[in-house]
Formats: sequence, structure tokens, C-alpha cells
Amino acid sequence: MIRIEKPAWDTMVSHAERTFPKECCGVMLGLDGVVRQAVPLANAYSGPQEDFFVMDPQDLNRVDSQARAQGLEVLGVFHSHPDCDAYFSKRDLENSCSWFSYVVLSVKNGRFDHANSYRPDFDQKEAPKEELIYG
Amino acid sequence: MAKILIPTPLRQYAGKQDSVHLQGATVGEVLQSLTSQYADLRRHLYTDEGKLRSFVNVYVNDDDIRYLNKEATPLKEGDTVSIVPSIAGGSAGVAAPPVSLSKEEILRYSRHLIMPEVGMDGQLKLKNAKVALIGTGGLGAPLGMYLAAAGVGRIGLVDFDVVDFTNLQRQVIHGTKDVGRKKLDSAAETMLDINPYVEIDRHETALTSDNALQILKDYDLVVDGTDNFPTRYLVNDACVLLGKPNVYGSIFRFEGQATVFAYPGGPCYRCLYPEPPPPGLVPSCAEGGVLGILPGIIGLIQATETVKLILGAGEPLVGRLLLYDALAMRFRELKLRRNPECPVCGDHPAIRELIDYQEFCGIPNQAHEPAPVVGDIDPVEVKAKIDRGDSFVLIDVRETHEYQICRIDYAKLIPLGDLPKRVNELDSADEIVAHCKSGVRSAKAVDFLKQAGFKKVRNMKGGILAWSDKVDPSVPKY
Repeated sequence: MIRIEKPAWDTMVSHAERTFPKECCGVMLGLDGVVRQAVPLANAYSGPQEDFFVMDPQDLNRVDSQARAQGLEVLGVFHSHPDCDAYFSKRDLENSCSWFSYVVLSVKNGRFDHANSYRPDFDQKEAPKEELIYG
Repeated sequence: MAKILIPTPLRQYAGKQDSVHLQGATVGEVLQSLTSQYADLRRHLYTDEGKLRSFVNVYVNDDDIRYLNKEATPLKEGDTVSIVPSIAGGSAGVAAPPVSLSKEEILRYSRHLIMPEVGMDGQLKLKNAKVALIGTGGLGAPLGMYLAAAGVGRIGLVDFDVVDFTNLQRQVIHGTKDVGRKKLDSAAETMLDINPYVEIDRHETALTSDNALQILKDYDLVVDGTDNFPTRYLVNDACVLLGKPNVYGSIFRFEGQATVFAYPGGPCYRCLYPEPPPPGLVPSCAEGGVLGILPGIIGLIQATETVKLILGAGEPLVGRLLLYDALAMRFRELKLRRNPECPVCGDHPAIRELIDYQEFCGIPNQAHEPAPVVGDIDPVEVKAKIDRGDSFVLIDVRETHEYQICRIDYAKLIPLGDLPKRVNELDSADEIVAHCKSGVRSAKAVDFLKQAGFKKVRNMKGGILAWSDKVDPSVPKY
């Protein structure tokens, strides 16, 4: 289960809506399964960003040290699916990392629609849904 | 002994430690030693076959070991090893970002690749970099050409202007054949000819408070090649709000300056110039002139800083304003500090969104046509007066070197600065018309003469440029 506090959730939704129709991405920081802070990151993919995102490893490294300094942990990552549902796509699975919760936000016509969270396994074979509480 | 930083989600498997110090000659050895000490970590980093998992990136200091010697990369005393997951995904399947160069690109960039400060890692950083270039004029010309040549993967050009003959003395990205074309098209064509392996985004618009954040957010850094105060403040504020470095340059006559603003911890343009100068006080290049070579030098300082920022190499021009004087052929440096009271990048910023920069710089809204000034006379009417043999005096208040470029034969030259001491050459009983290049200085002359008691003084609207357009096209424009 992952719970996202309201300020962090608001940051995630507004990042997703503002980045629409492109995919946004970012990192969730917190402790013990509770996200206290969301850090929006730039989508570092150099091709069309409407249906793909990449995080810059340097950004991730920076956020990780920021988390250390605040006594928080990187609990997960989030990204948006513009104009489609918040499923965990084949492409998401192929690029997934088992260390994190993956929150996917569906944004339709520029407005947040719904979200799901997934926990991919080590071998990038499946990603069971986990309970997501936000706001 | 090397220090291994444990990513926060994995700390629970490493005795809750932030970092672990381990002995080992190579990256592979210390990772083996780490995962044998903390068995639970192993399955997070390695597959059952003993290979690093595909999503695990390992860095030695700032370098990805994929571009060094992979797991055989040797370690020195004091090296830091970071484990960073690669995170990507998306709603559909498309190719991953470039992680290698083609054979053709390796050949093209070979003089970069053989320098360890750039190398494969640096050239890929350049290829994956996205730079917004505001303006494709004097500064934008060398910037666009060299950034494309260096292999900056995506360059976004912002310009709405058209090439004209007066540009060609310095804007070397455009040629004589391009006069009348959109600067965007002409610049992109030159850049793609230099390097077809870069992508160019064309933003055919003036940068405004309404579109700046939307346009600039997709780039890693912004290079300011503009020539006016409202856009300079706009670019600065947008960069501060978006957290993107602003590589700044400006030029005037024989002097230029350059620095990097909005770099984390560094100053911004408003720390240097909190308020814009009063409108009209600082002449533009069109009014004051500029040595054609000058933007080449300043633009290339900006290009150098841009490439350094992308590579993370050397000492960036942050907190230092570089001043260049072409006549003395001297560089000087001024120290700049971030102002904690700065309204946009300070500790308690008052400006949290973009404002109206035309208004901020005291420039009247372009939408409202200025009311016709009493005392203006059209060049066509002046010509008619000359032809009719009316008795009146036409004075040209430009400088002598401008008079040498072109003149109206009927006019008497009294440069604006000489007017006070030569005012006795004029008779207040005569009807007087003043002109200059475009009408600004002659308006000042008219004001001066009225204050000196002259009643019948008028300003020739649009100056000699309008005369060339409306009366005599053989008079060259400059």
C-alpha cells in the first residue's frame, strides 16, 4: 500500500496536467509507505514525449541525495499517461525497476482522471497493482 | 577504499546505512563484496545469472561505467560509486533515447571524442541535450552554427523576424540569398547543412509572458541572444521560475558582456540590474550601431559556456560578468552575487509568475497607435515645400558620419549635440523643419528649439528613412 499526502499529490497532479499532452515524470519521497513530497522532473526523452518518458539518472541521483539530506527515502516514481488509462503498459514493464512503487496518472483532455500504483518484480515480468490512497 | 552510496530504497537491505566503504580494485569487485556482505541486496542488483540487472546504472564519481570499462572499471582510493536505477516507461512502445553514436557521428565528432574531458560520455550528453536559443540575430548566428556543429542534439530556435540587408554585416548564419526569408528557415537550413544529425525546433513567435514557460520548459538550458530589455527580463524570470540556466550575452558598439544567470546558487539578471533603464536611454544596435564582429566573439563565449554546462566541464561563468572591449582589446571580470532580496530569485521572491515586461520597461503598449504629435510634418509635404520654393529651413540633426552616408541636399547639418551652441545660426522668424534618421533625435531638437523660444518648428516624421521610402528611393537606408 502507498499513501500520498495531499501537498505531494497536488504537485503530482498539477505536473501531469501542465505537461499534458506530453508524459510527465517525477519522484516520490517519504517514509514507511507514506509519500510526503513529490519532486517533478523533466522528461529527458529526446523523441516524441506524448507516449514515452525517461528520467535523467543524474536527476535521480540528485533527488536521492536530497532525500538523504532530509532524512527521507525515495519511495517511488510517478508518470502520466496522456489521453489513456492508468494501466501499466508493456513498455512500462520492460523499463521497470523493482525498488519502487510506480504511480501512473491518467490525464484526459488536460485534466486528471484517475491513478493506479504498481509494484514491478525483479525480472520485469509482472507488476501487481497495490492499494493507492491519495489526497 | 571506495565509498558506495546506497540508494535510499535499498538502505533497508544494507543495515540501514547510507553508504558503505569497501576495498576492491574494480567496480565489479566492490559490488561483489557488497552483495556478499548484504545478501538481500544481491537480488535487487543482479539477475540469477549473475549479471547486473538492466535497470541498474553504476557511476564512478560522475561517469557511467558503461562508457568506462564496465564492471572492470578500476577504482582509486577515495572514488565514490553510485548505484542509480534507470527509469523510463510510457503509454506506448517507442525507441529508447540514444545511448550510442552511429559510425558517421563517431567520425564527425572524433576531435571531441579523443579528449577525455568530452569523450563518448560527453558527446552523448551533447546529443541528448536540449537548448533553447532566443533570437537568430547577431548573437544567435554564431551560437546556432557552433552548437549545431558541436552536436547539441536538439536546438529550439525562437524568432519571428525576416532577414534584411542590414543584418548581413554580422548575422553570418544568413546569406545574401536569404534576404526576405524568415530567419528561422534560413538559420535552420545553415545549421542542418553544418550538421544533419541535430534536430531543430522552429518557434516562429515573439517570446511573450503568455508563451515563454510553455516554450522553454522542454529545454535543459536557455541561451539569450536578444537585443531588448523587455525580452531580457522575460527570459531571466522564466529561467528562474523554471530552474534553468540562462546563458546571457549582450553587445553595444564595440563592447560586450557575458555571464550565466539563474544557475543554482548564482545570481540572475535582476540581481545585476534590478530596474530597467528609462526607455530610450540605452540605444539599440539599430540606433547606436555595432561592430559586426563583436557578436561573433560574445556569441561564442555563450556557446562555450553552453557546451561546458552540458558537459559539466570546467568552471562555469557563474557569479562573474565578463566584459569585453574590442577597441582596447581587453577582457575584464566583475564579481556578481545572488541578491537575497532579489524580487525573483531572492529568499522571499515577490515575483512568482511572469509579468507584463513591456510595461515594466516603460514601453507603451504597441496595440495603441500613438496619437499624432502636434508639429509633425510628413516627408512628402517637406518635398512639396522644397519644390514650391517655400521659404523654410531644413536642419539635419544627425552626426557628421551619418551625413556622409546619405543626406537631403536641401538640409543644413547641425548635429543634435551642437544645437545649443549653434542655435544662433537659426532665426526664430523662419519656419524650421528638423529631421534625423528616424525621427527620435529630431523630436528632441524640436523640443529644445521650442524651449529656446522658436515657435514655427516641426519634426519630419520618420526621418530620412521615411524620406527614402516615400520621396527619394535613391537615398540609401542604413
